[in-house]
Amino acid sequence: MRPEQAVVAHHFEAMGTACSLFAVGRPQSCLVLGERWVHDLASRLTRFSADSELSRLNTRAGEWVEVSAELEAVLRAAERAYELSSGLVNAAVLPSMLAAGYTRTLNAGATTVMLERARPAPALPEVLRVRPARARIESGAGIDLGGIAKGWMADRLCEVIGPNAVVNLGGDLRAVGAGPQGHGWPVGVAGVTLLLRDQGAATSSVRRRRWGGAHHLIDPRSGLPADTGLEEVSVVAASGFEAEVVAKTALLVGPGVAPAYCASHALAWWLDGRHDA
Amino acid sequence: MRPVLLKFAATVLTLGATFASAVFVTSHLKNPVAPLQPPVLTGTSALGGAVVVGPSVQPSNQPPITSTYAS
Repeated sequence: MRPEQAVVAHHFEAMGTACSLFAVGRPQSCLVLGERWVHDLASRLTRFSADSELSRLNTRAGEWVEVSAELEAVLRAAERAYELSSGLVNAAVLPSMLAAGYTRTLNAGATTVMLERARPAPALPEVLRVRPARARIESGAGIDLGGIAKGWMADRLCEVIGPNAVVNLGGDLRAVGAGPQGHGWPVGVAGVTLLLRDQGAATSSVRRRRWGGAHHLIDPRSGLPADTGLEEVSVVAASGFEAEVVAKTALLVGPGVAPAYCASHALAWWLDGRHDA
Repeated sequence: MRPVLLKFAATVLTLGATFASAVFVTSHLKNPVAPLQPPVLTGTSALGGAVVVGPSVQPSNQPPITSTYAS
């Protein structure tokens, strides 16, 4: 067996959640730079700050807005997520999230739930247009990048820190390289350790970020908080972004279809839900 | 005269290709023990059941260095 190599680790809080970076053969300063990258990008992609790049795009709906290369890339990832999920992972659910009361970070507390105002989300291609260095959101629409951004950021940061590293941003993670022992990085998925190598993992759940009978995971078909019978899905896929998309899609399609869906889209998976569903 | 020859040649070519394809297909029978992809027959997918693991992911007894979780 190959001797275990020393792992450097760095833990911090960002995007309202716990983040961890691990690497073999890299200095600690590299991980600290990774934390700065996460904070910088998160501050530009959040919808909870009025002066973020995403908020400027949302508030200037109806006109073309210049966007950075990073926001353009994440918006294109949102388009890709919409395609991969046949419309179930839809970044245009922001108006429904606001109607559900998710108007500010949960640390600040949710506001009033007004689900009677919720509407099915528009098709993303009808309200979001992305061109090189600019983007446009149609009037009345809004974009929330949420988990898509976390999965995308985990993938990008892992490439930068690599070639032997793990990035975990609030449960959306990406592992590249052979890990400390040469067999892959040991990552916990639903209580089981799996060795991931050039793969990603994510968990989608309606058990966290709940308030007043609502939660953050909106079903774009109804505009209401999802209630499919599935409550939590963990997935391993080829990347953190892909795992995020597959986990959320599986949760939204419900327990009848999710096993077959995961069998064709995931490398490993775990489903949990209401057992009366 | 020439069009008739061309039609005849095309007919012979078509019949020949059909015969050759039939011979090729019948001599390459489907392997009934070929593995299913994706591996839907392994593991369980019941709610709250075990983690279903495909062949490209290896389980381990090591303690995890980090985990995926809902946040």
